[in-house]
Amino acid sequence: MTTHTRAALEAVALGKRFGRRGGWALRDCAFRLPAGRICAVVGPNGAGKSTLLALAAGLLGPTEGSVSVLGADPARARARVGFVAQGKPLHPQLTVAETLRMGADLNPGRWDRATAERVVTAGGLDPDARIRSLSGGQHTRVALALALGKRTELLLLDEPMADLDPLARHDLMGLLMGQSAQHGTTIVMSSHVVAELEDSCDHLLLLGGGRIRLAGDIDELLAAHTRLSVPAGSADLSTHTVVESRTTGRQLSALIRPGAAPLPADWRTGPPTLEDLILAHLRNPGATALTTTAPARTEEIRQTEQTEETTA
Amino acid sequence: MTALTAPAATGTAHTHGSPRLTRWLLRLHRSALLVWTVFVLLGSALLLWLAGPLTDAAAEGWRQYNACGTTPRCSYDQDAILFYKSTYNYVAAAMAGLPFLVAAWAGAALTGRELESGTAQLAWTQGVSPTRWLALRLAVPAVAVTAGASLLVLLHHRAWSAAQGRIDTGKPWHDVWTFHANGPTTVALALAGLVAGALAGLVLRRTLPALLLGLALAAGVWGTAQLLMPHLWPAVTEETSLQQGYGHLYSGIQVDHGLITASGGHVPKLECYTTVSGGCARELEKLDAVGYYSTYHPVSHYWPLQLTTGALVLAVAGLGTAAAFWLLRHRTATPRTTA
Repeated sequence: MTTHTRAALEAVALGKRFGRRGGWALRDCAFRLPAGRICAVVGPNGAGKSTLLALAAGLLGPTEGSVSVLGADPARARARVGFVAQGKPLHPQLTVAETLRMGADLNPGRWDRATAERVVTAGGLDPDARIRSLSGGQHTRVALALALGKRTELLLLDEPMADLDPLARHDLMGLLMGQSAQHGTTIVMSSHVVAELEDSCDHLLLLGGGRIRLAGDIDELLAAHTRLSVPAGSADLSTHTVVESRTTGRQLSALIRPGAAPLPADWRTGPPTLEDLILAHLRNPGATALTTTAPARTEEIRQTEQTEETTA
Repeated sequence: MTALTAPAATGTAHTHGSPRLTRWLLRLHRSALLVWTVFVLLGSALLLWLAGPLTDAAAEGWRQYNACGTTPRCSYDQDAILFYKSTYNYVAAAMAGLPFLVAAWAGAALTGRELESGTAQLAWTQGVSPTRWLALRLAVPAVAVTAGASLLVLLHHRAWSAAQGRIDTGKPWHDVWTFHANGPTTVALALAGLVAGALAGLVLRRTLPALLLGLALAAGVWGTAQLLMPHLWPAVTEETSLQQGYGHLYSGIQVDHGLITASGGHVPKLECYTTVSGGCARELEKLDAVGYYSTYHPVSHYWPLQLTTGALVLAVAGLGTAAAFWLLRHRTATPRTTA
């Protein structure tokens, strides 16, 4: 199941704690994202999304474990990685044109001026406008232009679309998809709006409480789960991993990861939607996590986990 | 030092030439550079004016005053004397405030605000490694501060020298503000202020608290330097008899003074300057005093004191710089040696 193509992002036992006695923002994080994918990092506020992206961008150092980016450690991969932080920081005193010129000066040899300017002009931005005079959406556009202008192999975007109107959101998403298709850029973007990512992403990283809940190819993750609806008391779910089950009246509805034994033919089953899958895992933090693309070194652990799941 | 690791961190970008960081540092802090230039130019102009016309006018005023002798009605140019004095004091105060000005700016604008708003992190994801970012943020302002402060110090020394022996109320060399404004300790203190501010910004990552901590750290360095300064060079001890009275008391940088007893012991800080008045005489007799001693730094110690104090302050600034780099490397991802 694990593809052995080059990894864009790979974490092994990654953990980050802020302060010596502070809580863990991220813990026991292990996953592998193959290059060329568009990955959604989903989770509620405080799940550790921003921390994970900042660790990958080399803005933070890990407290334990390690993360590697494009096969190198984040500090050595800076030139090949683009990052847009949640707050979209830019220098307010510079103009739009100056901001792009700064990008060109700071990234000699890997600056794509045409792309950067296209992103800005597509939004109808005045190059001489000061950053501080821009609206939220225009601000985001310049921040994205700065990240896209830097010819990168990996783009890390923290809540990139949060303050955009639907039109601009659609527009910029298209731009990102185009970038990925044209240059094979891996894109990792966080969000807590599932609908925003469903159409464009092929990989999912679901975080909850600083831990990975689901990681892997979205199709594989969906295929690994089944939604079922059976009369309460009649079904024995013990051979399957139950993510969530609810009894309403005499009906039991559940989201399960089917075990080795085939499901009885008289059960009403169906494929879950991505939203079903995500919400079920977030509502039930006790459910076993599932990682379909684990880093090479934790492959063994994953196997053990699956054995446990089947015997559970 | 740590800046040397930066080119490796930027990877392939290095082969295409270094990122033009200095240009953008200057652009981003253009207003600070402008303010600093105006400060130095204005200060220089004032000091040149002080050394020339103002000193001449005040010296003429003092000549007239001294020529008056005991004549009851005699006119002299009092305004010139007072104007010289207040101008000198304002300039000296501005120069004394220099390290604090630099510290406040460095804490607030150079590091604190950039870390608070995230523009520092923006630079780190735009092909500039954190160590390189900090190295440049310390080096470029350090050059500007050294150049400007050195010019002001040279001109201040020139202005101060011009008044020696001509203006009776001219400040002595050991006056605390004059001592610093006349020599390299001001430059060292300003550099320490820069480091103090930058470190405060890195620690707190917020503008206003960093400004205040920067000021506090700079004040700490200043106070420590002032406290240790007299002890950084062996002082001279002068012993005089009771009849002679104190020798050089408060005519240099005073370290200690007091009485010598018959057994040769020192009783420090006894403010008894005369053997005539009753109380003091009894006190001196009770202590079996045979003379006075005064430990101080004469004017010949000016340069040794300046240089040792300056070196001490620069050493503290060096430690602060090391701490700033350590903190930054500790917090952000740094190249793993095994990778």
